[in-house]
Amino acid sequence: MLRRIALIILLVAITISVHGQDKQPITFFLTFVPNIQFAPIYVAIEKGYFAEAGIELTLEHGDEPDGVNLIAAGERQFGMISGEQVIAARANGRPVVSVYEWFQKYPIGIVVADDSGIESPADLRGRTVGIPGAFGASYTGLIALLTANELTEADIQLESIGFNAPQVFCLGGVEAAVVYVNNEPTQIERLAQRGECGAVRGVRVFNVSDYADMVSNGIITNEDTIADDPELVARFIIGFHNGVTLALNNPAEAYLMSLPYVDSLPRDPALIAALQAEADLDYDQGIGEYEEPGEGRAAVLERLRVAVPDVDWVQMEILIDTAQLWDALTPGSSDLESWQTTQDILVSMGIVSAPIDLENAFTNAFQPIG
Amino acid sequence: MHIHTALKRPTPHPSKTNPTQSARAPRHLLRQAAPIIGIGLFLFIWQAVVWLRLYPEFIIPSPAAVASRFVDVLLDGRLWLHTSTTALQIILGFALGATLAISVGYVVAKSLVFEAIVSPIFIAIQSTPVVAYAPLLVIWFGSGAASKVITSALIVFFPLLLNTVVGVRSVPNDQRDVMRLLNASRWQIFWQLEVPAALPILLGGLKVSATLAVIGAVVGEFVSAKAGLGYLIERADYDFDTPLVFVAIVMLALLARVMYGAVAWVERRVLRWRVK
Repeated sequence: MLRRIALIILLVAITISVHGQDKQPITFFLTFVPNIQFAPIYVAIEKGYFAEAGIELTLEHGDEPDGVNLIAAGERQFGMISGEQVIAARANGRPVVSVYEWFQKYPIGIVVADDSGIESPADLRGRTVGIPGAFGASYTGLIALLTANELTEADIQLESIGFNAPQVFCLGGVEAAVVYVNNEPTQIERLAQRGECGAVRGVRVFNVSDYADMVSNGIITNEDTIADDPELVARFIIGFHNGVTLALNNPAEAYLMSLPYVDSLPRDPALIAALQAEADLDYDQGIGEYEEPGEGRAAVLERLRVAVPDVDWVQMEILIDTAQLWDALTPGSSDLESWQTTQDILVSMGIVSAPIDLENAFTNAFQPIG
Repeated sequence: MHIHTALKRPTPHPSKTNPTQSARAPRHLLRQAAPIIGIGLFLFIWQAVVWLRLYPEFIIPSPAAVASRFVDVLLDGRLWLHTSTTALQIILGFALGATLAISVGYVVAKSLVFEAIVSPIFIAIQSTPVVAYAPLLVIWFGSGAASKVITSALIVFFPLLLNTVVGVRSVPNDQRDVMRLLNASRWQIFWQLEVPAALPILLGGLKVSATLAVIGAVVGEFVSAKAGLGYLIERADYDFDTPLVFVAIVMLALLARVMYGAVAWVERRVLRWRVK
């Protein structure tokens, strides 16, 4: 308790001390492309959380291994990287450390048509399963799911389809697809509702997180930054954490703040007006009325749909589904068991030849809430 | 008769070799050894970068580490699997692209109307980077070899089409007129005049296209594949196996060199008359 209070006092002191000083330019490495799933970062920039922490943030998107190498080489300080990449990187001499587990649930799953006869992952035996490629979080997640259901890769017909799951799935090229559970299933359902997904009328998703507790996407830095400038790490994390907290509590406001960063977001005036009205509500009171985490956010989506039924809410739906993956009693914290589960899978796959000391792969020392 | 006599060079007697020729011998040897010297210099600079620690070894591994990884994957069979997969896709893509480009190019060269119809489409395809439409090809043609072969064929197509058009149009009209005056058939004009006249430019285009075919196949493999050198690079990258990435890159360079060398060999054989 005393340590927690001391850390909070330290962070407040740091926050106050950086006011009025020149801001430190930091480039934050992200995978993929600008997307609503990165809303907490846009919120933290727009709300000035990073600026308050003395950081002038620039965003950079690229391939995950490139980000890991840049951070390991000290060319970048921070990036969003999946947990299994941290283990594989450390096993291959890259001194990276996870300092904030952003996604509390592994975001990978398998989508199937709800009338496909595939009622459980065990029914995937002999079926054609599409995957972006036999590498990265999708592949690790697939193997974890198969292993938990006493299957192996040889029991399915694995097809590499790139990042085209909705199109290939709807064209009937595969019977199941490895996807990000917060993104592609929503897109496929929307295509199905419009009758643009062949005979598919609805989908079922098997979440990897329901079968294996694996460590997921988090904020990483390198050992030198932690050793030489722990204050910077603490400032960065508190700025980021504030963004996550606001996005969890007020997804409508998070959507609005993402508009300048994500070109593909619908911005119909009626949609914007409805979001603004929702964002102005007092969520500190509203959210507590729900028994389950996320019920409040689901209610937000429902109210928006009722208020403006004629606009496309799919991106808002993706944001709310993604927020479910961040939500936890202690957002950002990591536990050794999930790291161990992940490492066991990587060793069984041969990606990591010998287990590493996982205590060095992550730290909870910078958690704003202990 | 006189010309033949003038061109015939007498073979010098070994004992009567003049000093200029003696001086040329080391230069000839140097030229023969130049590629090996170039590779040696490249390896030395590479090793120097590692020695000087300009980058961590996980970014630029030493030549020895790459050689060691090469032996590993050679012995476990992976190198052959991925190299042969890519090589087959390159050859098929090159063959398909070259056949289409030469056929369509000949018609374009002969018909200004056809050229006006198809050139906007071809220019639009050519000006679009192959990485932009490669994912679409996977959706249309599946994730197997077909999408890689077609990607490779598309990247080969346009430069070779241009060379074909330029080659066929390079035939002087007066030579065509002479052939017509001699009652030559269309086939004879094509086979005895147009083909020999266009071959030098066409084979130049084939050499360029042979290396482009490698790029096309690898781009296709990057988008989606279960085997091939592009897949191996992507997989090794995600596994943080940088020496293996280098091994795959070296193999791609070798494949491109072999493709280029094969076309150059054909060129030397086919254009022997021109050298003479």
